[in-house]
Amino acid sequence: MKFSINRAAFIKELNNVSRAISSKTTIPILTGIKIVASDAGLLLTGSNADISIESLIRADDPDIGLTIDEPGAIVLTARFFSEIVKRLPEQTMTVTVKDAFQTEITSGSAAFNINGQDANNYPHLPEVDAADSVVLSGAVFKELISQTVIAVSNQESRPILTGVHFVLADNQFLAVATDSHRLSQRQIELPTPSSAAFDVIIPGKSLTELSRMIGDDDSDVKMQFSENQVLFLLGDTSFYSRLLEGNYPDTSRLIPKDASTTVEFEAPELLAAVERASLLSHESRNNVVKLTLTPADNQVTIFSNSPDVGNVEEALDPKEITGDDLEISFNPDYMKDALRSFGQTTIRVAFTSALRPFTLVPTEDTSNFIQLITPVRTF
Amino acid sequence: MPKIHELASVLADQIAAGEVVERPASVVKELVENAVDAHSKQIDITVEEAGLKRIAVVDDGDGIADEDAEMAFKRHATSKITDRKDLFRIKSLGFRGEALPSIASVADVTLTTSTGGVGTLIHNVGGIIKEHTAAAARKGTSVTVKDLFGNVPARLKYLKSPATELARITDIVNRLALSYPDVAFSLVHNGRELTRTTGRGDLQQVIAGIYGVQSARKMVAINGSNPDFKVTGYVSLPELTRASRQYISLLLNGRYIHNFQLSKALIAGYGSKLMVGRYPLAVLDIKMDPLLVDVNVHPTKQEVRISQEPELTQLIQETVFKRLSTENLIPDVFSELPKQKKTPEPATDQLTMALNDASTKYEFSSAPQSRPAATRPTPAATRPTPVASQPSVVADASAVAPKRGPQPLQTPEEVPVEPVVIHARGDFKLPAVQAFDEKYRTEQPAAPLGMSKATESAAERPAMASQPVETIPEATQLTQAKPQQRFPELRYLGQVHGTYLLAEADDGLYLVDQHAAQERVNYEFYRQAIGQVSDDEQKLLVPIVLDYPTTDVLELSNHVETLSSVGIHLESFGPNSFIVHEHPTWFKAGQETDTIKEMIDWVLKDGKISVAAFREKTAIMMSCKRAIKANHHLDDQQARALLKKLATAENPFNCPHGRPVLVHFTDQDLEKLFKRIQDPHHSGDDWGE
Repeated sequence: MKFSINRAAFIKELNNVSRAISSKTTIPILTGIKIVASDAGLLLTGSNADISIESLIRADDPDIGLTIDEPGAIVLTARFFSEIVKRLPEQTMTVTVKDAFQTEITSGSAAFNINGQDANNYPHLPEVDAADSVVLSGAVFKELISQTVIAVSNQESRPILTGVHFVLADNQFLAVATDSHRLSQRQIELPTPSSAAFDVIIPGKSLTELSRMIGDDDSDVKMQFSENQVLFLLGDTSFYSRLLEGNYPDTSRLIPKDASTTVEFEAPELLAAVERASLLSHESRNNVVKLTLTPADNQVTIFSNSPDVGNVEEALDPKEITGDDLEISFNPDYMKDALRSFGQTTIRVAFTSALRPFTLVPTEDTSNFIQLITPVRTF
Repeated sequence: MPKIHELASVLADQIAAGEVVERPASVVKELVENAVDAHSKQIDITVEEAGLKRIAVVDDGDGIADEDAEMAFKRHATSKITDRKDLFRIKSLGFRGEALPSIASVADVTLTTSTGGVGTLIHNVGGIIKEHTAAAARKGTSVTVKDLFGNVPARLKYLKSPATELARITDIVNRLALSYPDVAFSLVHNGRELTRTTGRGDLQQVIAGIYGVQSARKMVAINGSNPDFKVTGYVSLPELTRASRQYISLLLNGRYIHNFQLSKALIAGYGSKLMVGRYPLAVLDIKMDPLLVDVNVHPTKQEVRISQEPELTQLIQETVFKRLSTENLIPDVFSELPKQKKTPEPATDQLTMALNDASTKYEFSSAPQSRPAATRPTPAATRPTPVASQPSVVADASAVAPKRGPQPLQTPEEVPVEPVVIHARGDFKLPAVQAFDEKYRTEQPAAPLGMSKATESAAERPAMASQPVETIPEATQLTQAKPQQRFPELRYLGQVHGTYLLAEADDGLYLVDQHAAQERVNYEFYRQAIGQVSDDEQKLLVPIVLDYPTTDVLELSNHVETLSSVGIHLESFGPNSFIVHEHPTWFKAGQETDTIKEMIDWVLKDGKISVAAFREKTAIMMSCKRAIKANHHLDDQQARALLKKLATAENPFNCPHGRPVLVHFTDQDLEKLFKRIQDPHHSGDDWGE
């Protein structure tokens, strides 16, 4: 195998593929990056237990300056290979595979000889058929991920909750995540009617990596599913993720329909207040802040106490408040995550009682995006 | 009157007593050793008030003839050696002829003895014989010591609490019992029996009598020899440990001794199988030519000099290592189950959504968690407990375990999973029982105590050392008959909480800690790799000067070449100093001097060093850091790859820190969990299905 390529273009793809490569794996060859040179171009592959990324660098793209002198395949240890490529002296570089998987990397007068591994030993990537597919705008999809992935559990003790539940039915695309303490749900109506329908759970970690790969150019993301894999196509890059097996709990019933107390805030203002209160709550044993609502006086106060440090009390300025008096305690970290996902909007917080979950929705679109947080019972 | 005069013999005896008779336990030791030397088969020790009021040792040994009896109270009077030649070939426990006169000089001693005919009674108070008459006595000797230290109040003052003194007495009797399994010992304190051994010659039974049946079951016999030494005994499996070295008994030609080097060798035999700060239980019986050992070092003879000690330590280490490396060291779950602890209820309660609840109401389980960090599965919390905390594991296991009945068996030699029912003793001969025995034998090599499971259900109550069961010899023979497969062939089933791998083998279910498993695999790689350092040396601008005391300098001059081989070139620099001009490049910057000093200390201590051994800690750290952690999903392929590599590891049972890598639920454990095996009393009627 032998090829030459423009280094800058190569590094970009190399970085993308490297997202899937972990230095900790039980299969040593997976610490490597697989490079296959063919007439079509250069195919880079990285993989771990959760995700696999495959990126094609086309030979016919003049900007990349790829010339394939001899087709072939090799696996090179990702850690060294990317560091080497990044530090090579010249604009272009040449990779030549010699006997016994010895690989020579040259650029200008620098020449590296590193040990490669047989590409035939690299595990095969899953196959995903193209029967069911959905296309979404990259920007929308990225937003959807960032809004839901915050509520994903990071505990493998209930593996199903480490994923985001995606459901497509009747042209409605629904994404839900919960770690059993809070829940985040986002719904999108597909711009182009689609007959496809699916119900899958995608690991949160995979989605986080995926959203980092979606560029700012708003190019489309195409999703395809198989039995236990999902494939996202972003241009010439294929992003595979495993799907979580099992039944996602029915979350629709968890969202309360009516409220006894509602209050509206500017999300950034409430966020700032909660952040202040959490300065002390983090020091205390329980990490709890308390919100006291008195609609009659148009008053909302936030309170937190750390026996060792001191306490904080702040009167908030609600835009609108209706309903019964209420005193409710919650974990401020969940509140912060939720509020950050709203950005610069006005939100409506709806409470039913001190021991029931409360919801947060943006006031201008109350049905498509909802954050739900369970309170803390204090004694 | 001359200034220098000879001391009265009573006074001289009292001075000698200071060395030999320190405390009640010393009296017990000396008297019991005498009894052992007199070829006794039964030695009964009765103690009152921790020995201060009364100590009586009754044996059925040779006895003392009437004409010898008074002589026995003379200092340096003994029947055990006669000339100088014997002093270097001591086969008895005592030989100095000091014990009895020493004891007599500080107490009120009554000796009743008979060689078979008419007996003798001697009453000696404070070293003076008050009475010597003929008496009725059975064959053997009985010594009663009263009023100990009554005439040396200073000694009395320095005794510890009665409980401590009693503990010492018990300890010494235990050690002697371990030394002589074929002698029946009993120790009674204030009418309560503390120790009893059967004298049947089975060391493991003695161990069970002293340390408990559970512990004895977890000990394996060792056996090693070279032309000079023969080492036998029992050592505990790594899962059974204690926090101190107290539980290591070294017996040299039947004599209980203290020897740090030998204990160290024993522990070294365990290698990385022991957890940090834990020590094994062990009884090592070392037999050697009495010529090779000098016991005449200390009056109580607990310290001895052994010639060719390095060869002996080497033998012990290798014997233990070899024995454990043939052993399946996977702890069985049932014996490992800890008692469940209740965590105190925290002051707050993070409510959780009832995600699987079908009702339309919100229901909140009051899980005692105030934030997500608290839900992290700590190893202790997720420790496999039978049904309560991990029902899923158990459910999985039952789903995959080979079903009973018509399904074809997986291996031809596998025994059908059928309850083996024993109604009468004659049933032991049934082929089903034999096969059952054969099948489970491998898990419990300590068959005589553990007994085969089949016999256990027949026995009225669990076998205690004092209640041997008839079937024991059979089981023992079986144990030695067939070699064991050491590590099971694991078939991967699934992952639990992203932390444990579930695997089955022919003999049951295994839970593997994925982090520990990869740590072990990595460790075996890095342990090799880390020893292969380059020979390159970094020159020093300012040389390192090391000062050592003269004794160390003399010792080190013997080892200059050893150090050279690991890259430290010492040059003499004045009488008590060495100078080092360069050091190996693998030394960590800033720690060069400390590293050199530490390596020199190793050489001073052990006389040898290798880079791999020295850098073991680094290897352990690297293997830990490069291993997958808990709470980490593995796909099937990766999990299988890990189990496959684990199977090829030299010691797949412990991580480098000594924690277990996998635990085992035997088929029988699972059956017990599901109550498929009923209480032995009801066996035979209906069996679950």
